[in-house]
Amino acid sequence: MSLRLKLLLLGLATLVLPWAGCQYALEMESALREGEQQSLAATAQTLAAALQGRTDLLYRDAEGSDAAPPGPIDLQPVLLSAAPYLDGYADEWPRSSSAWRTVASGRRQLRILTGVHERWLYVLLEVRDDHVVFDAAGADALDPAGLGDRVWLGFEDPSGSDRQLFIGTTGPGPVRARRIEGRELGRQVAVDEPRISGAWQLIAGGYRIGLRVPLSLLGGRFGVLIDDRDERGGAPESYGTLDRDTLHASGRLILASPELAAYLAQFIQPGMRVTVTTPAGGALGEVDALSVPADAGSDRGILARLYRRLLDQAGTRGLVEADAPITDTDRGAAIGTLRLTQTAARWLPLRDRALTKLLNLTLLTSGAAVVVMFAFAAWLAYRLDRLRRASESALTREGLVTTFPETGSRDELGDVARSFATLLSRLNEYTGYLRTLAGKLAHEIRTPLTIVRSSLENLESEAGSAGARTYIARAREGSERLSAILVAMGAATRVEEAIGSAERQRFDLAGVIASAVDSYRTAFAARRFATELAPGPGALEFTGAPELIVQLLDKLIDNAVDFSPPGATITVRLTADLTSVTLEVENPGPTLAPEGRARLFESLWQSRSGADSRPHFGLGLYIVRLIAEFHGGSVAAGDLPDGSGARFSVRLPR
Amino acid sequence: MKLIAIVEDEPAIRDNYAAAFKREGYAVRIYGTRKEALAAFAARLPDLAVIDISLGEEPEGGYELCRALRSMSAELPIIFLTARDSEIDAVSGLRLGADDFLTKDLSLAHLIARVNALFRRIEALRKPHAEAQIMRRGALTLDAERMQVEWDGQVVLLSLTEFWIVHALAHHPGHVKNRQQLMDAANVVLDDNTITSHVKRIRRKFQALDAKFDAIQTVYGMGYRWVE
Repeated sequence: MSLRLKLLLLGLATLVLPWAGCQYALEMESALREGEQQSLAATAQTLAAALQGRTDLLYRDAEGSDAAPPGPIDLQPVLLSAAPYLDGYADEWPRSSSAWRTVASGRRQLRILTGVHERWLYVLLEVRDDHVVFDAAGADALDPAGLGDRVWLGFEDPSGSDRQLFIGTTGPGPVRARRIEGRELGRQVAVDEPRISGAWQLIAGGYRIGLRVPLSLLGGRFGVLIDDRDERGGAPESYGTLDRDTLHASGRLILASPELAAYLAQFIQPGMRVTVTTPAGGALGEVDALSVPADAGSDRGILARLYRRLLDQAGTRGLVEADAPITDTDRGAAIGTLRLTQTAARWLPLRDRALTKLLNLTLLTSGAAVVVMFAFAAWLAYRLDRLRRASESALTREGLVTTFPETGSRDELGDVARSFATLLSRLNEYTGYLRTLAGKLAHEIRTPLTIVRSSLENLESEAGSAGARTYIARAREGSERLSAILVAMGAATRVEEAIGSAERQRFDLAGVIASAVDSYRTAFAARRFATELAPGPGALEFTGAPELIVQLLDKLIDNAVDFSPPGATITVRLTADLTSVTLEVENPGPTLAPEGRARLFESLWQSRSGADSRPHFGLGLYIVRLIAEFHGGSVAAGDLPDGSGARFSVRLPR
Repeated sequence: MKLIAIVEDEPAIRDNYAAAFKREGYAVRIYGTRKEALAAFAARLPDLAVIDISLGEEPEGGYELCRALRSMSAELPIIFLTARDSEIDAVSGLRLGADDFLTKDLSLAHLIARVNALFRRIEALRKPHAEAQIMRRGALTLDAERMQVEWDGQVVLLSLTEFWIVHALAHHPGHVKNRQQLMDAANVVLDDNTITSHVKRIRRKFQALDAKFDAIQTVYGMGYRWVE
């Protein structure tokens, strides 16, 4: 992994900042929620305290304030959020079954559901009746012979006196409530009660009636009685919540005071809902301002919305609720319960705003940190790369040619660069010393060697014994070999001199090579030579020093001969393109050692290990390189593709 | 008896050379420094001088001595002997009028052969032309006795080594002589590059007289041949 990538990853670690920010925001949110919960509870307590003992405010009728739980025939209307249509269908009514009151008689059954909306009491009756009998059409409502199924409503009026109304119909549809009034001569007539309206609808196994009664008609008690007849004019089977004989309503109608809602409304703020229930849980009054937006500006910005999406878990955006009992200290009993509900919308915007700011800030910080780190890494990598390139190319054959970069820097990299520069300059001195060592040695050894040899020659002339002559001959042989070594050691120096004085001329490259290869055939009889000269003799004019080119080839062939077995075929190949010519020498034999490949063409480098009578100083391929570079070319060494030997190639520009 | 002066700062070499020359029947005087040699030469000129280039404290002392000696005598054969083998030394030595430039690698036998040859040449120059020793190859006239070469009737001034190389090549025109053969002919042990530069120098000397000279051909990888 590159330094750049590593530091970038390190920079990404700063993303822990936004994460920590989120955690902080969540903590803050839960703290806010808790605080809100507490303040809501306090508010609920206050409101409940305000309502303490205010039975009059809670209940419409003082009698209803009786703390006793509702009996089986007591009715507690639910709070309807909208007025149901009076069509005999139950569509607009609450679905919950707990609010239904059920009165049964044998197979017959009456279910009553009451609800309050504004100043009206709504009543839904479902009657199970196998034989629905309608009143006879056109008959007097009081004529017993024409009577069908009949519904009695009995209630106390606000003044406390009993009232009864009946509902009968000749068919499904709108119905009227009527009351029986006594007239002169004991005559009774049915009088329409126009304030009560409703509808009758047949349902499977019975019928359903929806009714609307103005609350102003009603007192504290209310009941329903069904006269079920199996045939028109027959004897009714009566059952319900009214007294069967007197039609007296004994069931309470537990209703909130009309002032309750208005009273509660003054405490309410947008985003809150207050509900007052009876101790048993029936709703008395409710003021709902939940959906009123508390702060219109909370949703601004895509980012804010995105953050909220990321952070909000399901359910956390819900509501906060607090309950407080309403007591009557006189009676020492609870008269109701107050429930205060508040939407999170009241305090979420607060969190959101903080969160958005926090996230924006930390993300920006992280981003900046990453960018800065990346830039720093890139800069560092650039410097390192520069240092690397400089150190790789600093030391050339000509010595230390580059001025080393970064040596002026005061940081650790500068130290490294300075160490490198020192190291390389020492290495340079050393290589320079090595380079001249051979020449110097050759020169220094020459004088003592001359003394030895001339002494031996004189000794030879002095003609000692036959034994002495043998030793002299051996000593001379040794000195000859020393001479040969001296010549070999100075070879590179002489080539450098030859290069210095070489003259370029136009010559036939392929011709020169072909002629040279001919001479190798006689010189190295134990090897075969194959030539592949793509531009044949005479076809390629080349500008250069032919003696040097031949010398280059000499060295390559020497090398190929040394590393190939007797009888092997050495291939000399010449190819040319528009800009350059390539001379290749291939020989079967061992492949090149990978570790030495890069240094093959360096001075005094050799990888051969075999015993050999000729002195080797690793100068042959160095001379090849010198000559190639004199011609502006380059050298390369590699294995043959099938691994059967080695290939040396020299590329020279035309 | 011919007198040979050896100017050499290394006593062992000096004495060895002196012993070899004495064995050959030459009179030998040996000197270790330029001053010493100059003083002696002022009194009496030797018949031949073998001079080392670096003389004790003076790295170029041999050159100055050569110059001084040449001013005393135009004909006196001078042989440079040196541990150096660089091209520049050889060129500057020969420019100063030395007859040959040899490295100390040369065996005593070869050295004596050269000295003998130089004396022979001096003898030959004093006698009239001996036609039998003269070889003609086109524009080339080569007098083996006097070791003198003419091209189109003009004398080409060659060192002894160069003369022997030309002689070996021109003796069998068309035949390729490899470097070893040329070295043997010239009684020298040289490496290939030195032979190459010798041949180059020979060509240049001929070309100074005749710009179109191309009688010495390079046969790459093999050697050289003389073409008429």
